[in-house]
Amino acid sequence: MSNTKREFSVVGKRIPKLDAAQKAMGRAAYIQDIKLPQMLYGKILYSKYASANIIKIDTSKARALPGVHAVLTGEDVPEKMKMGFIKDNPPIKKGKVSCFRDEVAAVAAISPEIAKKALDLIEVEYEELEGIFDPERAMEKDSPLVHDHLKSNVLKMPWDIHYGDVEKAEKESAFVVEDRFTTTWVTHCCMGTSGAVALFDASENLTIYTNTQIPSLAQKDFLEALKAMGLKNKRVRVIKPTIGGGFGSKLDTYAYEHIAILLAYACRKPVKMVFDRVEEFKATSTRQPTIIYIKQGCDKTGKLTFRDMRMVLDNGGHTSWGATTPSVMLMPISSLYTVKNVKYTAKCVYTNNTYSQAMRGYGNPQATFAIESSIDMLAEKAGIDRIEFRKINKNHAGEETPQGLKITSCGLAECIESVEKELDFKDKSEKGVGTGIASLIHVGGGARIYGSDGCGAILKMDDYGKVDIFTGGTDMGQGLDNITAQIVAEELGLLAEDINVVHSDTDICPWDVGAHASRSTFVAGNAALGAAKKVKKKIQDFASKLFETPAEEIELKDKMVFVTGNPEKNMPIGKLLRKAHFSPGGNMLMAEHFYDPDNQNMGKELKGNMSMTYSFGAHGAKVKVDEETGKVEVLEYVAAHDVGRAINPLLLEGQVYGGVVMGLGYALTEEVTVANGEIMNANFRDYKLFTAKDAVKIKAPVIETDDKDGPFGAKGIGEPGCVPTAPAIANAIYNAVGVRIKDLPITPEKILAALKEKNG
Amino acid sequence: MKPFTYLSPTTVEEAISFYGQHSETAKFMAGGTDVIVKVKEGWMEPDFLISLKRIKEMSELHKNEATKELSIGALVTHATLEKSLMIKNEYPIIYDAVSNIGSLQVRNVGTIGGNLINAVPSADGAVPMIALDGVALLHGPDGERSSDVKDLFLAPYKTILKPGEILKKITIPAQAPHTGSAYTKFGRRAAMELPLVGIGVLLTLDDDLETCTRARIVLGVAGPTPMRAFDAENYLVGKKINEDLLIEAGKLAADESKVRDSVRGKAWHRREMVRVHVKRMGLKCMNIIRANN
Repeated sequence: MSNTKREFSVVGKRIPKLDAAQKAMGRAAYIQDIKLPQMLYGKILYSKYASANIIKIDTSKARALPGVHAVLTGEDVPEKMKMGFIKDNPPIKKGKVSCFRDEVAAVAAISPEIAKKALDLIEVEYEELEGIFDPERAMEKDSPLVHDHLKSNVLKMPWDIHYGDVEKAEKESAFVVEDRFTTTWVTHCCMGTSGAVALFDASENLTIYTNTQIPSLAQKDFLEALKAMGLKNKRVRVIKPTIGGGFGSKLDTYAYEHIAILLAYACRKPVKMVFDRVEEFKATSTRQPTIIYIKQGCDKTGKLTFRDMRMVLDNGGHTSWGATTPSVMLMPISSLYTVKNVKYTAKCVYTNNTYSQAMRGYGNPQATFAIESSIDMLAEKAGIDRIEFRKINKNHAGEETPQGLKITSCGLAECIESVEKELDFKDKSEKGVGTGIASLIHVGGGARIYGSDGCGAILKMDDYGKVDIFTGGTDMGQGLDNITAQIVAEELGLLAEDINVVHSDTDICPWDVGAHASRSTFVAGNAALGAAKKVKKKIQDFASKLFETPAEEIELKDKMVFVTGNPEKNMPIGKLLRKAHFSPGGNMLMAEHFYDPDNQNMGKELKGNMSMTYSFGAHGAKVKVDEETGKVEVLEYVAAHDVGRAINPLLLEGQVYGGVVMGLGYALTEEVTVANGEIMNANFRDYKLFTAKDAVKIKAPVIETDDKDGPFGAKGIGEPGCVPTAPAIANAIYNAVGVRIKDLPITPEKILAALKEKNG
Repeated sequence: MKPFTYLSPTTVEEAISFYGQHSETAKFMAGGTDVIVKVKEGWMEPDFLISLKRIKEMSELHKNEATKELSIGALVTHATLEKSLMIKNEYPIIYDAVSNIGSLQVRNVGTIGGNLINAVPSADGAVPMIALDGVALLHGPDGERSSDVKDLFLAPYKTILKPGEILKKITIPAQAPHTGSAYTKFGRRAAMELPLVGIGVLLTLDDDLETCTRARIVLGVAGPTPMRAFDAENYLVGKKINEDLLIEAGKLAADESKVRDSVRGKAWHRREMVRVHVKRMGLKCMNIIRANN
């Protein structure tokens, strides 16, 4: 059903974030604000070395410190308590540490200060081992092993993919370009640092307050943790406080959560663990760093013939979700622009560096940086205008890509045209000024990573026309509360303020896979819409009896129920609901809905339509490069996205602005500096996150393609803002001063060095 | 954070006597943008914090119209200097330096005295004070003494101040006519940024508006303490200034600088930035002088 011509009352309105006032007035309760009776404070002792054997740990002095309730080491962790998707990482290590962030002990005490003091009193004797920090070196046969029980540092992972015939296509290509690109560690920089409060009741059921984007999966992880602790058939309740930013960082359960559980159990008191900023930098996971080899070709007319990519990923000391990013990288590699022959291999290699996690875009920004830089190079080699080249190869609705992605709606061409309209690509008037463009594809209709890609919603209406909707979805600041409220309000003829969105408690809210893959608007939105439709049907049925009119002729709008074409037959919704409630054989207005999109898990063949629909975008940048200093100033930025439909343009723009600024940091300034495994810039002084003063003015044209499966036509747009930013900037720099920087971030040093080399 | 007793004297004498009572267990504090951070992080653990904020005379910014001497109380905030039209018009190098320190919030409480006494190689505030031949007035248990600002620094975080001594104010002698001055911070970000290098240039020209009679080229983060590039200064004095001369001065200053590699930036690039920005600030000085005539 097409919604294009439909008039909306609430959808499409610029309604400010529902909890904005609460946050602005300091009343929102973050994990830092949670305080429970008898609560203790936990702290973690980390490794002193990147690679070492733990010879001895003496905790006696720490235990003797007044106020200390428990001290745990790796010996106290149940054998089966492991984290990470291959469950290879115990929350406290014993025997060997393989990176600086490895946990070696933890304490609980009556104050954070005493807990910190206790850490200083723990004596650990290490035997330092030779570390390995370069993943390409770690792949060599004579490299030291990060994990002794494994025969190689290379993980057993499946990415060795060949669609079509790349060798043949290369031979037949008129133009071929080949290069190497690298991307480095960057981190989420959530303003709210990580933390959890764990407590057990008298029956040993666990309640945990924690910053998570995956309440249902976290509940499962914690149940397994309890099982490992010998606590079988217990309950786990996950409560999310207000979350100060997610960006993918909260898509796994972490050592600090498991340690909080262990400490709470050991002390039989609530235990709170909250990271300080240094810890947030050092002990949370980064974006996956990559070394990318890319080769692409086209025919004489500029049509892409093949794409061949090989990647080496630094897996760090342990395996977290970062190791699965190649699966998402496969999406742009196989499907950004139409290309039939695709080859892709990726190897994740253990090193003694930090390890990576999901981060906004989940591998897509890394892959797109290489692809879109290389596309520019190929267009130049073929002598075709870079924008024309992209139009020649644009994706289109109805296309099935080599990976099996089925493109239903596609506004890529409109996005490119919109960027062209907003940014003057021909302007070469000023020295050092240049323009660049880059496109993106991303999942926009869920992503079947697990067996289910579903989300549940429960909706109930009270006697006054107010709605409580309990969603499995998570709001971590991105705006799912508004999206849910606006979708429900639209369907039920109410105002957004009539809808109370509850998304914070696994005891109350139904199941959901998690707030990842830009899926919440699409999947949680469809779940909410499904529940709202069921309740609407009930209202229509009841009103139909009351007005003696067929149910399909009952309309809900402006908090009124009325008969189509006969508006004087009407009643305020609240009044109708009270009648429903108080009449004999009374009715309760409640419904539940579980939405699981009809997308496919890629399986072993790594083929399949992972999402119901795909979001597209094109970014254009105009930069000025100071040729004496290498410094880049972003003069103009346009980020056009095909979003299906903007449920709330205000929040949508916020997502795009935030994504672009994150992408600009990735392009130009952000880097976790790692020296022999040690993070050297664990603070906001030296980790160059863009400040408000650095932010540039961004135009964010919205292309609405009205997706047939999206709620009111909407597709996901959480991640795309930061996907093609780095290549758009890199391409603009090349256009400005003729040097191509292939390693992120593009610092003034790198540009100046390249300029000096070019100019001799 | 270790708890401390907060003392707030209203006169310099009282502040010094507080220090006399508590000696090493006490620490002076001006705006607190460095000290409070250090205390919170546990890098500094005083039992007593002696806040100088309520000492009125230390917050005065005053230009003596007769002698043309500028007096800047140590507690004058960066924001006060930034917002003063007199500073902006007559001492542009001060304006350039203080208007990009930290953020608006930091500048509202951070002080010029604190910036100097903290004695980091990257102190933006130190460069203009040295370029303007500023003199620091110190007051301690043994009375008053003064020092050129350029001689204030011994090493990172280390000044010539003796225990219990306070920096009361900085005086800037009358500026000769046909003087222009400018500062730039080269960094990666537009705010909350320490300079990779900070470059200040001051030029005084003869009545011909060409011949240089005085030059000050001051570099931040180019060594353990803020430093003057004497070779470059001497090269310019007595010559008719043009762009080529300023390019040469930039080269000399770059050679003199003791920049080094760090996590924040490479030495070769910092040296390049000294070279480029000495020229640019020199040109800016020339423009200022010509615009004022």
